Amino acid sequence: MSIEAAVRWTEILLAIALIQQSLESLSSIRQLRLLFVSRLALSVLLMVGVATQWVLLGLVGVSLILLKAFQGPYNGGSDRMGLLILYCLAAFHVLPASPFKELAFGYLALQVVLSYFVSGWVKIVNPDWRNGRALQDVFLFSAYPVSEDLRGFANRPKLLLSASWGVMLLELIFPFLLLSKSALLFGLVCTAFFHLMNACFWGLNRFVWVWIASYPSLIWFQDRFVLG
Amino acid sequence: MFNVLKLALPAIIPSWNFFDIIAPSPRIEFACWDIDEKPVQDWQELRPRPQSISIFTMTRRLLWNPRWNENLYLVSLAERHAANPTFHSEGEIIQRIQYDLIEGGQKGNQICLVQFRLMFVKREQNQVVREQHFLSEKHKVLLGDADVD
Repeated sequence: MSIEAAVRWTEILLAIALIQQSLESLSSIRQLRLLFVSRLALSVLLMVGVATQWVLLGLVGVSLILLKAFQGPYNGGSDRMGLLILYCLAAFHVLPASPFKELAFGYLALQVVLSYFVSGWVKIVNPDWRNGRALQDVFLFSAYPVSEDLRGFANRPKLLLSASWGVMLLELIFPFLLLSKSALLFGLVCTAFFHLMNACFWGLNRFVWVWIASYPSLIWFQDRFVLG
Repeated sequence: MFNVLKLALPAIIPSWNFFDIIAPSPRIEFACWDIDEKPVQDWQELRPRPQSISIFTMTRRLLWNPRWNENLYLVSLAERHAANPTFHSEGEIIQRIQYDLIEGGQKGNQICLVQFRLMFVKREQNQVVREQHFLSEKHKVLLGDADVD
């Protein structure tokens, strides 16, 4: 995949994620409506591909105002990944020459790889993750399960032990999936399914759309630096 | 400006240590009094989760989940507030309580006093225990179109 195609796909997928977030925010947050309407309009322009450089700079400006308004990201990790994609795309368009553009987009790909690998690493060094207790605790008392019935999974330790190891191994092998096209494709299907399950069980729907928006950078990165 | 860049920095150089430890988990509880400080509503959890949700709802929430995402924002506010209480986080929490009271049918220009507390839930040995980490002042809240005191 060429860098131009990968960047365009990232812009479209990020725009979809931001449109979804903006519509949700407009329905639930009673202040800052003008900002969310602006972000919605800019996201539509980004999806269509009009004045992309200026649209991205506008979205960066809105993102900084929202960070100040909420004193941080509104939705933790998913917002952080959305901001990272946005800033890398803006840098790609603003930077003048090819090596710098590749650096900006390559940085995004590198961070996506790290997002899985580091998450796997910090889990596997924790004995509570290795024996399944951590995932039991998530279901038992954390704020994430979307219903009380789901807390019943805490009573299925064998299932949660298998799930814990499945998640840790998927996250840890993720960098090595870049060594083969088919392995990366299979890995991206698995990680998308992983985000989908997190959305169903823990209500983390924004992660699904924003992480998928980062996947074209990986496909380009693999073609350019690993297999190229 | 420096403060905004400080807030943006974790997005530019992220740590990605999702769920590295399962820390004690916050619950926001609130109670209400009338203006004469007579109890109107005993302590109750803000936005408790439902007993169950259907597969259809789970699927729909992939696209449309504003309420739950606001709940997740409240969780991070509660964690921030327990670590470092600020007017911002306290105001944001009180405002959501105010909105919920209004949506719950307490309308008009009635004034009430609202107080919230942050309870943290954790596992000790094989038991789930709750501890109070923060108790707010009583805030005067107008259950109409006005703001929080």
